[in-house]
Amino acid sequence: MKTYLKTGLSTVAMTSALVVGAQAAEMGATGEPIKLAINEWTGQHVTTHVAGEMLKAAGYEVEYVTAGMMNQFQAIADGDIHATLEIWSSNVSDQYGVLKDAGQLEELSDLGLNAREGIAYPAHVEDLCPGLPAWEALKDCAMNFATAETIPMGRLVDYPADWGTPGADRMTGLALPFKAVPAGSEGALIAELRASTEKKSPLLVTFWQPHWAMAAYDVKFIDLPVGEEACFTDPSWGPNPNAINDCDFSPSRIFKAGWPGLKENWPAAHEILVNYQLAVEDQQPMMGAVDVDGRSVEDVVEDWMGANEDKWKPVVDAAIK
Amino acid sequence: MSTPDTPSAQAGRGISLSRGTIAALFVIAIAVLCRVFENQVTWLVGWPAAWTVPMTDWVGTAVGEFLEFFKPLARRFSWLLSFPMSWAGSLLGGAPWPLVVGLVTALGWKLGGARMAALGFFGLGFVVISGYWSQGMNTLALVAVSVPLAAIMGLAIGVLAYEFPRVKGAVNAVLDVMQTVPTFAYLTPLLVLFGFGPVVGLIASAIYAAPPMARNVLLGLERVDDDIREAAIMSGGTRRQQLFLIELPAAMQQIMVGFNQCLMAALSMVIIAAVIGGFQDIGWEVLLTMRKALFGPAFLAGSVIVIFAVIIDRMSSALALPGQPYDRRVGYGILAATLAVTIWSLIAGWSPNGFAALDGVASWVDEVVGGFTAANGAALDNIKNNAMFYGLLPLRIGLSDAVLPFTWGFQWTEMHTQVFYAFAVAFAGFFAFRSSLTWGLIVLIAAFILETGISQLPWPFVLLGVGALGWVSGGWRLARLVTVLLGLILISGLWDRALLSLYLAGASVFFCAVFGGLLGLWSALSPRAWAVIRPVCDMLQTIPLFVFLIPVLMFFQIGEFSAFLAICMYAIVPMIRYTRHGLISTPDELVEAATASGAGRWQTMVELRAPYAAPTILLGLNQTILYAFAMLVIAALIGTTDLGQSIFLALGQADIGLGITAGAAMAILALVADRLVQGFAEERRQALGL
Repeated sequence: MKTYLKTGLSTVAMTSALVVGAQAAEMGATGEPIKLAINEWTGQHVTTHVAGEMLKAAGYEVEYVTAGMMNQFQAIADGDIHATLEIWSSNVSDQYGVLKDAGQLEELSDLGLNAREGIAYPAHVEDLCPGLPAWEALKDCAMNFATAETIPMGRLVDYPADWGTPGADRMTGLALPFKAVPAGSEGALIAELRASTEKKSPLLVTFWQPHWAMAAYDVKFIDLPVGEEACFTDPSWGPNPNAINDCDFSPSRIFKAGWPGLKENWPAAHEILVNYQLAVEDQQPMMGAVDVDGRSVEDVVEDWMGANEDKWKPVVDAAIK
Repeated sequence: MSTPDTPSAQAGRGISLSRGTIAALFVIAIAVLCRVFENQVTWLVGWPAAWTVPMTDWVGTAVGEFLEFFKPLARRFSWLLSFPMSWAGSLLGGAPWPLVVGLVTALGWKLGGARMAALGFFGLGFVVISGYWSQGMNTLALVAVSVPLAAIMGLAIGVLAYEFPRVKGAVNAVLDVMQTVPTFAYLTPLLVLFGFGPVVGLIASAIYAAPPMARNVLLGLERVDDDIREAAIMSGGTRRQQLFLIELPAAMQQIMVGFNQCLMAALSMVIIAAVIGGFQDIGWEVLLTMRKALFGPAFLAGSVIVIFAVIIDRMSSALALPGQPYDRRVGYGILAATLAVTIWSLIAGWSPNGFAALDGVASWVDEVVGGFTAANGAALDNIKNNAMFYGLLPLRIGLSDAVLPFTWGFQWTEMHTQVFYAFAVAFAGFFAFRSSLTWGLIVLIAAFILETGISQLPWPFVLLGVGALGWVSGGWRLARLVTVLLGLILISGLWDRALLSLYLAGASVFFCAVFGGLLGLWSALSPRAWAVIRPVCDMLQTIPLFVFLIPVLMFFQIGEFSAFLAICMYAIVPMIRYTRHGLISTPDELVEAATASGAGRWQTMVELRAPYAAPTILLGLNQTILYAFAMLVIAALIGTTDLGQSIFLALGQADIGLGITAGAAMAILALVADRLVQGFAEERRQALGL
């Protein structure tokens, strides 16, 4: 498992520039706890706990509140939760935009986590469809991916329907003989990857990283033409002259958002959260330590905070000193 | 956890042979018309998009304004509720675990002696060593607040319906709606209304748990002996005194049955409400492990719920029984020991969170599931493909589309259609000759459905066919009701998805009816079989629905077959229970008389017990249908594309209009099926003179 993790890591584009360029701010209401949303996935737990520990180091009280990723925005607008730190632009609900435009929610800044989405497969599928990871190979071995529901087309397991249908868009754009089946939930996607790895059966999924399963099931991305702006607007761009979306995913943004009253109530905390950055190279090993080695998030984050003071201390100091 | 009887619709006019035949002939005429004109008149097959009304938008706007209006009031209410919430939370969460375990054990002793005490002790002991103690206590805190709320609400509704018989019909309809609209559909509006946090889960579970209480209160009050009632009137109290001092206490036993069901319903719903978050409870743990597709840990967390459910169920049903005294000294002994251990634990600083003794077991279970998948991959794929090719696909898109060289090895042509219908007519003739004309016609209708596929049935056929069924089952009123309700779905634009739901639920109910019926029969014949089947049934009913999904997914992947299996696993239980119950509860005199007149075991079963059990079995079927629709929403998590998916989509996008409309459509399907089956059950009951 561990070695997988490292290979997974090396493929990740790494950036870890800390945005520090602020001056000290007022502390505000240090007696009131700042409530941070804990969503359903480990990476977010790590991101949030690091931020929480930074706020604690600055002298704030922090409370972690479990909240469904999709349903947290109303709570943030109401001030029941004060910040959420890992929103993926690929599956943010319409409600977010509505609340943000109405001024009931403040977008803080990008997290600096470099995410990648794409059409992917567990490594053993290369034997079943020679020519991978080049996307052209899919044209000829679509039948290998066919199942009872999709025959005579191949089967692509797409994101759950409420995250959109990027996989289906790719298949249409590239005119590949694949039918996209919505996964229904993240658990279902993982179960597919796991079953495919256990059974050595063919599988094509829409997937993303950082994700612990990338390493655990040795998931690889298909090479698609790089997703430029023109690809999504101009049909003549790319390998298929008649369609848009005939390219890879445009990079997804990962960002933070908070309650509009955050800045007023805890000015320094607001500044810390705005300037807080976390890189894939930092997050992914922590995720592995939690999901693969079974350690608790608190322990893992505490160790990381101890060993990487240079990555977070300046942000805290800049805000409070 | 079972839902009590919904009232039967206006029934009992009794079907004569001709009534069924007329209806069947009518339906066949519609089918023929649709088939003949389907190429010329395209709107016969698919409802044109131009004719749909933007119902989701209207509902969204209307409900949105309603919510804004009541928001301040609701927020005040949730502020009030947050007090008992935090009291219960800190009481249960803060109490040292040996104290809680000891108190429950002592309570078990008081209620049911050594067996109940052991249940409490070992059950909660399991929760402690599983390492889910604090999450479990959070869940219990939620239940501890939502159940009194639901019970008071149910009591009030039940008394209201009893005191004012004129509103009884309306109250029953409201209770039906409360139980059939999927919770996921109204979580978003609740969230807007009451604000984020456990209060939403609490209110959702109270909404779901109140109806069983209300129904049992009403039933209990109606069953109070006239003598008692008259005595109360003669002793000259006010109406309120009569009700509270005489009639409610007299109905107490039935009310306690309702309370028990109310508890179970609240417990099952608390888990579902965990998708919102805001409370570190067991449901959240189940969701987290689900997300990682870890069956073992999800199952372990799910077992904690099962244990709570079993303890609460057994202890609260002991409350409903007349108590028998157990030795108090033992009770005091348990309490004293509890106190001693608690003090010791405080000194030694035991923490319930350190335990994770069962993690090894959980990961072992997980590995077994993985290993099984790896070893039997080809066989599992075979099962799935056969079920899809020869069962589900033809049912969904019809033989004419499902039979392809890839699947059946040949292409379906016009000639096949003709041969198929020729066979169908021959069979129909045979049935008409042997049993009755109605059955012959039903064979023809079934042939039409199988050839066309449920998802491609022309809408006039579905609407009028169901209407005709309603007419047979409950007369004109029911026919009108079901046609109008289905018509609402049709114009809402959710028709295609509703047909998919109908197909999935229909296929599962059919399977459950056949296999559940057989298992019920087997359980009725052999007590040994029942000893094995009963605990399995208990587990299937109490474990959080999500947990079924993972092994099904591992074995059969995303798709309809997995959804079908998950639905069957949950919905088959009432069919087994009711079939068995119906078959074994034939009055002994009748069985003796049959045996005396020389009937064998099978003969008694087929000719006496089965007809006698028919109304009960139909009630079981009714419950199976409701369960199947309830599970349909959960099945959307494994990628179905029906109404369930719309409901999830709406939840994710916080789209109130779509959520409510899709939820209402789902509830309509369930209600229509419920009313139809109830109508037939009532007719059977009357035919048997029950």
